[in-house]
Amino acid sequence: MRALDRTTWALTWRLTRAGGRTGLLVTGLAVAAAAVSTTLLLLCVAMNLGFQHRSDRADWRNPVESSRPVAVEAVGTTFTRGVPVTVVDVARLPGRTAPAPPGLDRFPAPGELWVSPALGALLDRLPADRHPVPGTPTGTLGRAALTHPGELVAVVGHRSTDPAVTTPREPDPRRVGDIASPTRVASFTGAPLTDGMGGIYESLARVATVLVVVPLLVLGASAARLSVSRRDERLAALRLIGATPGRIAGLTAAEALLTGTAGALLGVVGYAVLLPVAASLPLAGGAWYPADLWIGAPPLLAVTAGVVALVVISALAGLRQVVVGPLGVARRSRSRGASAVRAVVFVVVVAVYGWITKKYGSDDSMALYAFAALFLALAVIGPWVVRLLGRIVTALAKRPATLLAGRRLLDDPKAAWRIVSGLTLAGFVAGFFALLTLDAASSWGGRPDQLAIAVPDNKVTQVRTLAEQRLHAAGVTAVIGDDGFVAQGPSDSRQVTATVSGGPADLDRARTALTGLIPDQYPITGPEVNWSEERFTRDFTTITRMVLVVTFTVAITSAGITAAAAVLDRRRTYGLLHLAGTPLRVLDAARSRETLIPVTVLAGGAVATGLLCGGSMMLAGGDSSFDARGLIVLAVCCAAGFGGILAVGALSRPLLRAVTRQAGTRGE
Amino acid sequence: MNTPSAVLSGTGLFKSYGMTRALAGVDIGITAGESLAVMGPSGSGKSTLLHCLAGIERPDSGEVLLDGKRIDQLREPARSELRRTAFGFVFQSGQLLPELPADENVALPLMLGGTARREAVEQARQWFGPLGLQGLESRRPGQLSGGQAQRVAIARALVGRPKVIFADEPTGALDQTTGMEVIHLLAEVSRSQGAALVVVTHDANVARWCDRTVRVRDGLLAEAHTEAETGAEANAGYRR
Ligand SMILES: Nc1ncnc2c1ncn2[C@@H]1O[C@H](COP(=O)(O)OP(=O)(O)O)[C@@H](O)[C@H]1O
Ligand SMILES: [Mg+2]
Repeated sequence: MRALDRTTWALTWRLTRAGGRTGLLVTGLAVAAAAVSTTLLLLCVAMNLGFQHRSDRADWRNPVESSRPVAVEAVGTTFTRGVPVTVVDVARLPGRTAPAPPGLDRFPAPGELWVSPALGALLDRLPADRHPVPGTPTGTLGRAALTHPGELVAVVGHRSTDPAVTTPREPDPRRVGDIASPTRVASFTGAPLTDGMGGIYESLARVATVLVVVPLLVLGASAARLSVSRRDERLAALRLIGATPGRIAGLTAAEALLTGTAGALLGVVGYAVLLPVAASLPLAGGAWYPADLWIGAPPLLAVTAGVVALVVISALAGLRQVVVGPLGVARRSRSRGASAVRAVVFVVVVAVYGWITKKYGSDDSMALYAFAALFLALAVIGPWVVRLLGRIVTALAKRPATLLAGRRLLDDPKAAWRIVSGLTLAGFVAGFFALLTLDAASSWGGRPDQLAIAVPDNKVTQVRTLAEQRLHAAGVTAVIGDDGFVAQGPSDSRQVTATVSGGPADLDRARTALTGLIPDQYPITGPEVNWSEERFTRDFTTITRMVLVVTFTVAITSAGITAAAAVLDRRRTYGLLHLAGTPLRVLDAARSRETLIPVTVLAGGAVATGLLCGGSMMLAGGDSSFDARGLIVLAVCCAAGFGGILAVGALSRPLLRAVTRQAGTRGE
Repeated sequence: MNTPSAVLSGTGLFKSYGMTRALAGVDIGITAGESLAVMGPSGSGKSTLLHCLAGIERPDSGEVLLDGKRIDQLREPARSELRRTAFGFVFQSGQLLPELPADENVALPLMLGGTARREAVEQARQWFGPLGLQGLESRRPGQLSGGQAQRVAIARALVGRPKVIFADEPTGALDQTTGMEVIHLLAEVSRSQGAALVVVTHDANVARWCDRTVRVRDGLLAEAHTEAETGAEANAGYRR
C-alpha cells in the first residue's frame, strides 16, 4: 500500500512532534490507554492460564485405575485451623519399578514423610502433639506437586500391605476430590476432576475476562479517537494542499501504529512489573507461583498485536467521521441514524438469554456466550436510547443548556453513547453480580468444635472406647458421643463425635490424637466439610469486586478521554460561542447534561438488565441467594460511577476553558 | 478621535503577545449607526483591535469606552455578558452549532438572555424573511450553503438588538459574489437597526460597503480614509 510509504512516516513524525503541549498530552493519553489495556488484558490471560496450571498440577492427586499397576495411591484430606492438608499415601507394588510422584526425585520409602514447604514450616512451628500429620519430614516436595506455594501437602510412603493403602475409603459426595480410595496406578499423571469445584475457578476466570475485556477495548478505542480529533485540523490542512484521502488514512494509521505499539510495549512492561504483585494475590487458597502467571511468548504477542490492531482500526474509524471534505469541517446533511431495529434486537437478545438460562441452567460456557451477546445487545440499543432521550429532552427543553444537550443527543447519539458506553456495561456487570453473591452458610449443621468419624454400627462402641483412651492420653478434655447422622459411608453406620471445648489448640491435639484411629478417615468438623465452597465463595467475592473495580475505573477513564475528545472536536464552535458572549457556564452545563442524562437512564437500565439476567441465572443455578451486601456493593458502584462521571466533567472543564481561550476569530 | 457622539471608542490601545506588539497605540471611535471597515495586511493587528474593542481581550494599556463607560477593566463574566447583550458578532465560519436548526441558532442569544424558548424562536424567525432565508428555519448548518450560513450568523448577531456588530473577515470563506451579497445585507440591516458595524477585512470590495475605512499597519492606524476619499460615487451605485 502506497499510503504507508516513507513520506507518510516522515509527515507523521513531523505532525507528532509539532503538536505542542496539548498534542503531547493527547499522544501521552493514547499511549497510556493502550498500555493500561494491554497490561490488564495480559493479566486477565495470566489469570486464566494460571488457574489452568494450578489445576493441572493437582491432577496427580486424582488417581486413575490401571490394568498394569506399579504403585498404589490413596488421598485423604485433614485440616489445621480450617486449612486443608492433602495427604497422599503411596506404596510401590512388590517387584515393580514405580516412577517418582510429582515434586519428588525418587519414590518415597515406607515410613517416609515428604511435605510441602508450607507444611514443613507449620510442623516446625507447632508442637508434635498438634501436627496434622504424624512423623518427621524426610524431605520437601517440589513445585510440581503443588498448586501454589502456600499449599499444605504431605506424601507418605508405605508398604503395599499397610492399612493406609489397602483399606477402601468412602468418597464424600460433599467434598469432591478430597478423598481417593487406594487405587492401583501405572503413573502419577492422574486426571482432571470433572465435578465439584474442579474447573470452577477456570470458569470464573473466563467470565471475569469477558466482563473486563469489553470495557478495555472501549478504552483503547476511545484513546485512538482522541488522537484523531486532535489531529483533524492539521489533516484537513494537508487535504487542502492536495493530500489524497489515502495519504490522510496512511498518516492516521501510521500515527496510530506508533502510539499503539508504544502503548502495547509499555503495557507488556507493566505486566512484567505487576506480575509479582498479581502473584501475591491470595486466590484459591493462597498466593501464586509467579511462573504460573507468566503467559509465554505466543499469547503475549497475540494480545499485543490485538491491541495495536484495535488502536489502528478505531483511529481509522474515527477519521472517517472527521475529515470528510477538503474544508475539514465534516458537513453532515443528515443525522446519524439509530433506528428502532436496535430496540427490537435488544429485547430479542434478552429474551433469548432468559430462555437459554432457564433451559440449560447456568452452564459457564453458555453464560460466556450469553454475556458476549448481552454486551453486544447493550451496545446495539445504546445509541437508539440516546436518540430517544435526545428527542424527549429537546422537546421539553426550556433553558439553553438543556436545549443544546438535547439537540446534541439527537444529532449524534453515537458520540454521546461512546462517552457512556463503558459505564453502561459496567452497570450491567454490577447489576449482574449484586444478587449473585454466593451463599456460603454451612449447610451441614456440624459444630466447629466437634470432630466426627463415620464408623460401621457394629464398631461404634469399640471406636468410642479407643477414642476416649487416645484423647485421655493426649490430655484433651472432650465429650465423646455418637449419632446417626452420617453423610459419608454405608447406610448402616453412625458417626462417633468428640466435642472439644478447650479452644483451637485443644482441637488440634484431639485431631492429632484421633488421626489414624481408623486408617481410612481423618476426623473432620462440620464447617470443614464446606471448605472448598467457602473458599470459592470468598474468592468469588474477591474476583467479582476486582472485576467491578476494573470495569468502573476503566469505564470512567474512557468516559474522561472521550469527553476530552468531544471538547477538542468542537473547540472552534465552543471558542466562537464564547467570544460571542455565551457563558462557559452554559456550555459546561450543556456538556454535563448531555452525559448525565444518558448515563442515568442507560446505566440505570443496564443495572436493571444485569439484575434481571443475574436473577435468571440465580433461579436456574439455584445455589445462590439474595444478599443485602450485594445491594450495598451495587449502591457503591452506582455512586462511584455517577461520581466518576461528575469528576470527568470537572476534569475536562480546564480543557474547555483552554480551547475557548485559544480560539481566535481567525479562520483555521 | 474620541468624538462626543461615539458609541464605542478606544484610546491609546497597546497590546503585545510576548515579543510581538500587535497594537502600538491606537485611537479609534465609532459613532452610532456608522459602519467602519478596518483594513490592513495580514498580521497587522486588525483582529487584535477588534478583540480589544469588543471586550474579548483586554488591552495592555489604554481605554475602551462604550457609551462613555469603561469596559476594558471589567472582569470576564461582565465582559462576556456585555458581548452577549450590547454586541453582535459575525465570524468567518464555524460559529453556528451544527446540531441546532437555524432558527434555534439565532434564538440562542435571546434564550441566554432569559427569553422563553417559544418566544425566542418566534423572534428569531422574524429575521429569516428580511435576510432571504425563508423556508430554511429548521435546516441545520450542515444543510446550508456558506452564504446562507453567514446570513444565519448575521441574524444571530442582530437578534439581540446590539449597539455594535463586529465582523471579522465575514466573507473570508465565501466566493466573491456571495461575499458581496453577504456584506451588502450586513451593512444594510445594521444600518436599518441603528447598530454600528465594525468589519475587519483585507478585501477593498468589502470595505467599500462601509461609511469609513481605517488602515492598520504594524499595530498603528495609518491615514484614515473617509468615504469621500475612497470614492463614494462608485459605492452609491452599489448600495441602491
Ligand atoms: N494569541 C496570540 N498569541 C501570540 N501572538 C498573537 C496572538 N494573536 C495575535 N498575535 C500576533 O499579533 C499580531 C497581530 O495579529 P492579528 O491581530 O491577528 O492580525 P490580523 O488580524 O491583522 O491578521 C500578529 O503578529 C500575530 O501573530
Ligand atoms: Mg485577523
